[in-house]
Amino acid sequence: MAWSRKPKATVATHLKRCGVPRRDFLQFCTQLMVAAPWGLAITEKATAAEVARDIGKARRPSVIWLHFQDCTGCSETLLRTSKPDLADLILHVISLDYHETLMAACGHQAEAALSQAVKDNAGNFVLVVEGSIPTKDQGIYMKLAGRPALNVLQDVAAQAGAIIAIGSCASWGGIPSADPNPTGAVGVDDIIKNKPVVNLPGCPPNPYTLLGVVFQFARKGTLPELDELHRPKFAYDRVIHDHCPRRAHFDAGRFSLQYGDEGHRHGWCLYKLGCKGPDTHAGCSTRHFNEIPDVWPIGIGAPCIGCTEKHLAFRMPLFDLVPIHNATPPDTYPPVHTAAGSISAAGAGMVGLIGGALGGAAWVAARRIRSSEEEAAIIEARLENPDKDHPDAEGR
Amino acid sequence: MELTRREALRGVVSKCIPVATAALAFPAAEAAETVSQPKAPVGMLYDATLCIGCKACVVACAEANDLPRDVSLDGLHQAPEDLNAFTKNIIKLYKPQEHSPDSFVKQQCMHCLDPACVAACPFKALWKDDGNGVVAWEPSRCIGCRYCEIACPYHVPKFEWDRINPKIVKCELCGPRLAKGYEPACTSVCPTHAVIFGPREDLLSQAKARIGQSPDKYFENRVYGEHEAGGTQVLYLSHVPFEDIGLPDLGTAPIPGELKWQKRIYKFLALPLLMYAVLAGVMRKHWTDHRREMREEEERTGLRPQL
Amino acid sequence: MKHVIVRWQRGVPVYAVRKITPFFVFLCVMGGLAIVLSAYREWAGLGPVTGMNDIYAWGIWKTFNTMVLTGLGSGGFSIGIAAWILGRRDLHCVMRTAVLTSFVAYFSGLVALGVDVGRPWNFYLVLMPWKWNAHSPLMEVCLCMPLYACIPLFLENTPPLIERWYYTWPRFRPFMMRYLVPVIRATYPYVVALAYALPMMHQSSLGALMLLGGSRVHVLWQTPFLPLLYVWAAGFLGYACVIGVLMVACLSWKRPMDMNILGVLARIMCWLVLSWNAFRFVDILLRGQIGAAFAFDHFSLLFWLETLLLAGPSVYLLSGANRPIASRLFLADLLIAIGGMLYRFDPTTFVFTARAGAVYFPSAIEVLIAAGFVCLAISAFVLAAKYLPILPAALRGWYDMEHYARVVHPDWKLETHDFSHHNRPNFAD
Repeated sequence: MAWSRKPKATVATHLKRCGVPRRDFLQFCTQLMVAAPWGLAITEKATAAEVARDIGKARRPSVIWLHFQDCTGCSETLLRTSKPDLADLILHVISLDYHETLMAACGHQAEAALSQAVKDNAGNFVLVVEGSIPTKDQGIYMKLAGRPALNVLQDVAAQAGAIIAIGSCASWGGIPSADPNPTGAVGVDDIIKNKPVVNLPGCPPNPYTLLGVVFQFARKGTLPELDELHRPKFAYDRVIHDHCPRRAHFDAGRFSLQYGDEGHRHGWCLYKLGCKGPDTHAGCSTRHFNEIPDVWPIGIGAPCIGCTEKHLAFRMPLFDLVPIHNATPPDTYPPVHTAAGSISAAGAGMVGLIGGALGGAAWVAARRIRSSEEEAAIIEARLENPDKDHPDAEGR
Repeated sequence: MELTRREALRGVVSKCIPVATAALAFPAAEAAETVSQPKAPVGMLYDATLCIGCKACVVACAEANDLPRDVSLDGLHQAPEDLNAFTKNIIKLYKPQEHSPDSFVKQQCMHCLDPACVAACPFKALWKDDGNGVVAWEPSRCIGCRYCEIACPYHVPKFEWDRINPKIVKCELCGPRLAKGYEPACTSVCPTHAVIFGPREDLLSQAKARIGQSPDKYFENRVYGEHEAGGTQVLYLSHVPFEDIGLPDLGTAPIPGELKWQKRIYKFLALPLLMYAVLAGVMRKHWTDHRREMREEEERTGLRPQL
Repeated sequence: MKHVIVRWQRGVPVYAVRKITPFFVFLCVMGGLAIVLSAYREWAGLGPVTGMNDIYAWGIWKTFNTMVLTGLGSGGFSIGIAAWILGRRDLHCVMRTAVLTSFVAYFSGLVALGVDVGRPWNFYLVLMPWKWNAHSPLMEVCLCMPLYACIPLFLENTPPLIERWYYTWPRFRPFMMRYLVPVIRATYPYVVALAYALPMMHQSSLGALMLLGGSRVHVLWQTPFLPLLYVWAAGFLGYACVIGVLMVACLSWKRPMDMNILGVLARIMCWLVLSWNAFRFVDILLRGQIGAAFAFDHFSLLFWLETLLLAGPSVYLLSGANRPIASRLFLADLLIAIGGMLYRFDPTTFVFTARAGAVYFPSAIEVLIAAGFVCLAISAFVLAAKYLPILPAALRGWYDMEHYARVVHPDWKLETHDFSHHNRPNFAD
């Protein structure tokens, strides 16, 4: 890895120098846009070319990657690509200054590399933490060069520009924190309280989520909008259930009941097999893995285990059912009381017409109706007081 | 021959008063319900806290009852807003606000122990089975008067408004399936067993056991349908108020009880016959008087009298 | 010139007027339209033609044409009880008008009921007692109303027809006198008694229909005494309708009105109305629902409207000064009729809150069919009044008609009897 003391070149320059084809870079930017369709400052541009131009202007960000109690899966996800060139691409667009799995150095050289990288890029580098940190018994269960991980993390994080906890282990403890949690494994934000930590839970998470956050920091110096668990909203705002391609089967009540049964073979909903999709915030249903479409758990017929969620992954039994949140009428279900019927304008008009006609007739009738006694009285009155202008008056 | 008023009255009293008193003395003897109690009532228990709103029951009901596609909502496929002529069973959602507690509710016929619809139907087209207590509709007896729709407090029976040969459509607990020993379609597909089928007694005790195990989880710690309107065979458990999921507060008296005075008055047709006898007696007296007066008037005026 | 006092004494046909007038043509056109539209409704089904829906399953045909109009058509029943049972001789002259009004109202109401039901081909079940549900009030109505209309009410209306045939069809006369008249003479009191017993049953059953509505009918209307209130309302509605019909008929055909008899009818009606109102109030008080009357919502408004429309004119007419004045009597009677009709209409529609948000308004075709059936009834009445001796007139009126008939219809044998007691053919004998 480059320990270069020279100022970092821009991404565009570096890529050109390394001979990476522009088409590959554009493809990379397209992937980034798919990974982060909104909520990420750099992918608000309309086209991949614009994103490429934006990223091209960024200085290659320095990334220091610390491993603690991990399985290295999050590193693997960064490298697990279908095109061999893309691994190189990733390593060309970011400057991965310390990474125990990928770097060539070891032993004292590696220690020196870490302290040098921290010193050189103090205040600017992105610290990516993979794996949980043991806290029990002063953290002796994970040591880096003889020092407890707890202390290493505190020292390095103090100098970092941005802290990203990649993977569920770093976000909230992950597998090591499963019952009975013998090492007291916790996530990064349980230790680092005075700086913002971006959690990217998942086991493993999608690599483009990481890259999106890193590039925004490199280009704009800001972190994307986070939710209450410090997860970037652009990737973790929705539950799988709300974006799942098998949702129609759920809505229609078609469920697989056993692995390999007819429903399973037809791709029906896996809810009854214990899919945690309805309660799991992640983007796996739209951003698949290994860049192969439909390569993601539900896509291959394995129910989601809720690996991003602290209350689900490695806690809730795989086949237990989760509650469904956020069903709202009237899109999905009718409300308990619905209106029925309507007022017909023609009918109302007709009723008004008839009522009016009857009322008018009644009024006319009331004016004209007189009993014979009354008529006789009128005639008598007229006889006594003849009206000279009346045609019936006598004397005319 | 003309009766004197006294003779007429004596005749009436001697003949009709015994009949009337016999009729009025029977109120205690008459059955409190319109229909006799079923011998082995079966029903369903729906626990709204377990329902996930998957609507498998709606689909299964439509399949088992061979219902046509429901396109009642502006042609939208299978998205009814309420029970209707194509939908015998529906899932609705009670969710007043974004973050308030919500509940699904399954609506279908409640199969009351003393149904208002059975009491209302003029020709017994809606009838309650003696054995399992299922309330079913018989097309050959229905005149399409829709009194059952007015009488039912749950608004369950629906009418096929758009057909020339309209039917009354409602849940009949999948009678043909029950006859073959199966469960109703809806209870057989529920993934969470939110709705289960069984004898009413068993379901009641199960429901009470659930309440006992989780006190204060269920609304008012009681089962809806145990006593409502004389008891229903479909029972409900809910964590939100029953009124909010469309189950009205009906009191414990069976609805046909409103007609008890009608039943007493018309028992054996005693009172109407008595009334007729009184009227006929008086009419006979007045008729003979009238004939005499008409004859006198005719002699006076020379005109044929009019009746 | 002294006061002219008109005393109605017998029915006289409306003579010397055109049989077919423009108004009559209009009525026939509306009636024909109703029949055509009813055929359309049978062909197309109830849904496309009416505004009824599953929540408001009863539209204006059942509630207005059947419930309200047969209430108006209870004149034969209520005036008949006063005339025959309670022995008011002076009301006999208006009986023919009353039973004719009942006849046309009931038949038009029954036809509307037939159009309203969705599966009328099963109605033959009414002839099979083992298929009846004896507990259902609608069963009682379905049985009793057609029975009443077809037997007692029809028989009550035959005398004017037979009378006309007596004069205009001499060859029928011997048969009539030897066979028909004795039969009528023997059975008439029992037929008439049936004609008073049956309406008590089905008019109260019409009220019992809404008992099953329970708390969905507003508390100011829902009471165990609903059947009693309905039949009582039918009583005074019958009076109101007959008074109105008589006044309008006399106005349009220029016949003198007997304000005495109209006054008597009005007085009976007012006492019926006021006692009914008092009973209703006491019932509401005893049920503890008087607070609802002052709730200032549209229910309480309707309640007070009904009460005012009924009680106000009744009190007004009780004073002896107002009854002889025709226009006042007419308007007050009209208001009472409207109030009574409103009462019988409310529990099925306006105050029946089946479910929040549900609404019903009749469609245009529904209104046309309803109005058309009413027009049919009126046209039948008009035709009958012109041909048959129904509308009451003074004795002098009969002599005038006889004079006119002798000129215009020389073939009519208007006086054929001698005055001997023995061979006087007289079917009031």
